[in-house]
Amino acid sequence: MTINHHPDIATLMAFGAGTLDEPYAAVVATHLAMSEGGRESLRHIQTIGGALLNDEPAAPLGSGALDRLLDSLDDEGDTMTLTKRPAPVAAPTEDGLPLPLQRYVPGGLDSVRWKWTGPGVATADLAWGKDGKSRLMLLRVAGGRRVPEHGHGGQELTLILQGAYKDRFGIFAKGDIADHDEDVEHQPIAEPGEDCICLVAVDAKLTFQGRLMRALQPLFGI
Amino acid sequence: MYALNMTDHIIGRTPVLVESDDFSSLLLRVAEQRDKAALAALFNHFGPRIKSMMLKLGSSEALAEDLVQETFVSIWRKAAMYSQQRGAASTWIFTIARNLRIDQLRRQSNKPYEDLDNLEMASDAPLGSSLVEQNQIIARVTLALKALPVEQQEVVRLSFIHDMPHAQIAESIGIPLGTVKSRLRLAYERLRPMLEDLQ
Repeated sequence: MTINHHPDIATLMAFGAGTLDEPYAAVVATHLAMSEGGRESLRHIQTIGGALLNDEPAAPLGSGALDRLLDSLDDEGDTMTLTKRPAPVAAPTEDGLPLPLQRYVPGGLDSVRWKWTGPGVATADLAWGKDGKSRLMLLRVAGGRRVPEHGHGGQELTLILQGAYKDRFGIFAKGDIADHDEDVEHQPIAEPGEDCICLVAVDAKLTFQGRLMRALQPLFGI
Repeated sequence: MYALNMTDHIIGRTPVLVESDDFSSLLLRVAEQRDKAALAALFNHFGPRIKSMMLKLGSSEALAEDLVQETFVSIWRKAAMYSQQRGAASTWIFTIARNLRIDQLRRQSNKPYEDLDNLEMASDAPLGSSLVEQNQIIARVTLALKALPVEQQEVVRLSFIHDMPHAQIAESIGIPLGTVKSRLRLAYERLRPMLEDLQ
């Protein structure tokens, strides 16, 4: 799998800092699970956090803080704690979903309950435990079908899980991520052949407002 | 390199503090020997720094202390997952504190991060740089961060230490979101040679 489209470095930095809303973090993590190069970039970014932490001024801890810690370790018991590395977790296969996505789609893509949202286009919302302002969803576009032109009210992250689509930014295939700011307009067309299935994080707070609501209505069936 | 047999230094149940700047070696001792003296040495250095970071998020004194405790219990539990390819000890400890922050302060799942860690554990990627090299990288990155233009330092710190989403950074310093992102990109470009150890 050759990945040609990567997240904006600023997006990766937000992921490394831990400030992305969970739907966006889930999309980035799923992409990184598919991209060794991306994971290397993340390691570099996290080094920034390490250097900053190391350089933080020291805020004195309350007296007895160390004893309190050692007491909790006694409660942990020495033997029950990890003394070996855990067994390796199966890496994603060509057919299986990447590990970070498995939590959100536990039954696999075959189990997804799609909602028809237009000719050749279906979506499925994925639950993520909070009624936050962001949405995590799957988007399925039949080969050769066109996603209605749309703009974004906030950041939109789209990761291609299967198939491919093409828009004015190029061809996006499995593992590629499209990282678009608000004001970007584009009209993806699925490449001929198998369905194009994408994992998408969008800002839901804004989807109920004027222009964006009208723009997204045909796409997401709001 | 540090030929201290730290378990010999435990008097009663309170470990004697070990002076060492080689945090990665200490962390490996925690992982491989379940060495509480090594954990105590890490606690004495990083505990007050993690507390400082947590206080900047608006957490109370008591909550910041609790989060420091929880961070170190996590470090104790997860030390075996630390390996040299994962970078400097301070970087790994930052990620433990970050994941805790997401869970405890943001009240969102940090599972996407844990899943990635598990994937990394399963990968057979060759070891990167040595412990000494990692410490040097941290030292160089620290200097490079201080050499960044002030407006770039500001957005980097607000993001990594103050835990502010980009939109909140934009709002708090009164600049467009796009400017926040471009400053972060510029900062990364400046740090890249040190981060990738190309010097």
